[in-house]
Amino acid sequence: MRGCPADMDGRRPTAPPSVLPDISPARGEITHADDEINLPPCGGSEGRAETRGSGQGGWQGRGGRRRALLSAVFVSTLSTTAHAADLPRIMSMNVCTDQLVLLLAEPDQIASLSDLSLDPSLSFLHTDAAPYPKNSGRAEEVFLAKPDLVVTGTFSLHNTTSLLETLDFAVEEFAYNQSVDTIPGEIRRMGALVGQDAKAEDIASTYERDLADLRARQCPAKPTAIAYEQNGVVLGQGTLADSVIDAAGLTNLATELGYSAMTPLPLEELVSHQPDIVIVSEPMADAPALADQIAHHPALRALQTARIGAFVPRGAWACGGPFVIEAVRALTELREEIASCDPAR
Amino acid sequence: MLNAILGLACLVLTAVSLLVGPADLDLRSSVSGLFAGGDEAAMIIMQEIRLPRALLALTIGISLGLAGAVLQGLLRNPLAEPGLIGVTSSASFGAVAIFYTGLAGASLYALPAGALAGAALSVVLLLAIAARNGATLTLILAGVALTSLTGALTSLVLNLSPNPFASYEIIFWLLGSLRDRSMSHVWLALPLMALGWLLLAASARALDALSLGEEAASSLGIRLSATRLLVVLGTALAVGAGTAVAGAIGFIGLVVPHLVRPFTDRLPSSLLVPSALGGGALLLAADIAARLVVPTRELNVGVLTALIGAPFFLWLVVRARRELF
Repeated sequence: MRGCPADMDGRRPTAPPSVLPDISPARGEITHADDEINLPPCGGSEGRAETRGSGQGGWQGRGGRRRALLSAVFVSTLSTTAHAADLPRIMSMNVCTDQLVLLLAEPDQIASLSDLSLDPSLSFLHTDAAPYPKNSGRAEEVFLAKPDLVVTGTFSLHNTTSLLETLDFAVEEFAYNQSVDTIPGEIRRMGALVGQDAKAEDIASTYERDLADLRARQCPAKPTAIAYEQNGVVLGQGTLADSVIDAAGLTNLATELGYSAMTPLPLEELVSHQPDIVIVSEPMADAPALADQIAHHPALRALQTARIGAFVPRGAWACGGPFVIEAVRALTELREEIASCDPAR
Repeated sequence: MLNAILGLACLVLTAVSLLVGPADLDLRSSVSGLFAGGDEAAMIIMQEIRLPRALLALTIGISLGLAGAVLQGLLRNPLAEPGLIGVTSSASFGAVAIFYTGLAGASLYALPAGALAGAALSVVLLLAIAARNGATLTLILAGVALTSLTGALTSLVLNLSPNPFASYEIIFWLLGSLRDRSMSHVWLALPLMALGWLLLAASARALDALSLGEEAASSLGIRLSATRLLVVLGTALAVGAGTAVAGAIGFIGLVVPHLVRPFTDRLPSSLLVPSALGGGALLLAADIAARLVVPTRELNVGVLTALIGAPFFLWLVVRARRELF
């Protein structure tokens, strides 16, 4: 976070809680124009989690309660940081564990994060990740950093992981396959690992409550949606995106058609099933690839009844974390916009 | 007669190509979707997905077949072919170098610009090599070296791109595909390719004269440098524009002239139209097969043309060895 030097030198927790009233509804909102989250400056890490947990609607309707909660959590941070020296130093080698570590660990607990943590399309917390040292997932870097614990994903780096385990480093792996319902468990597990159980419990229960609230808004009208990623790859059954689409009260067309995991779907098939919502991913601005052009194919644009766009805040469903609630919320709001639950209408 | 048969084959295969696809469309809705409209989904599938694909297969095949026939005539070398002598892979590299570095934004126009430049450079280089040493083998070896070099550079640029999808696109640029192209690709490539065809066709008379040898051709009033320029520009336009939108598709320009040659009077000029039509028909057929061989997962059409073309090339090499040594 730019402009928050206190984050790094460990003085942040002593900052007066008076910074909290700076959090205005406008700053807490998600702006779709640049898909950056404007975070309250120099807030505590719980503050960030709360910001995401509440999101667009939350700040408008329930701002007062949120602020009270924030203050309470902030005070609890003050008490925990006294023991920060005893807490384990963590090195994260996976973009998904990066974000859980960022949310839960104290700044001086973080030895380094993976270099993908800066990628806005994968890392929802990429701005928060900026001040920390980065690693590229090599065993040598672990030797130099000598962390108490290495956290990584089961998806890659198997050689590095097994090498580190042979050499008696503590390595914890987090599964890549997740759903909206496994996320609270992962938050609590990471909280226990980094010695921040209370903070994890708080974030996880807020997430569970928000998820239940959003699920309660589901209704029999279930428009079809499809996540059509680069190269025409769809996110089918078993993916986090599939569970997000389901939690938002939509039908995932890819799952309906029998696709599981990430599978290419011919554009013709998408067109012939005419989904109500096509969720495309946003291209990287500075590094073009042909893979991104599928989103601009005239055949997609010619689907007159379909809503086509990014819709999901950037990076919000790339990894399991409390911010996934923003993806559920965005899709829930989109669903309510296109298909009313009111049977009278 | 030959041209009529090949032209008919092109028409039939274009029609088949329009009828093949993962979406189950019956004949009636396909035809009405293509011409009249009607059902929205059928119309979009026919007009925006299948039509550009069939048109690109036909026109890129024509470009590759024609360029192969002209290069074989100009270089008097039965193994000359845009893919084998490195023109296609240079075009790929040119397109990749300009597009992925983001020099031109994400604009599609960067692709043909880069591909044309790459293709033109490689033809100039190869002509320079061929002018010094006319042996069949030299040109092929130079082409192999150029193909490897530009292929490696293509992979390098794509690997260095920070976009994680770029490295998956190595296979597209090395073994092309026509999957999910759109009419904007057709409008991008077709005018350039058509100009290339005209330039290549304009070299026909010179190619006939050249079959008697360069000195004889000069004495017949053929300006060799002008012919070379025509071929360089024509090949760069035809092959470069095609590669820009479909990646590197090899061996069409090698196989087709050899297949149709026995049915002509063996003059280079009378080979041009049959080679062009044959190229169109062959690429259409290969692209149909690419969609049908493994129904659930489409193949890259470049894989299929290489599967047909590479054994054919080996056979030509073995036969040529008997004649040359």
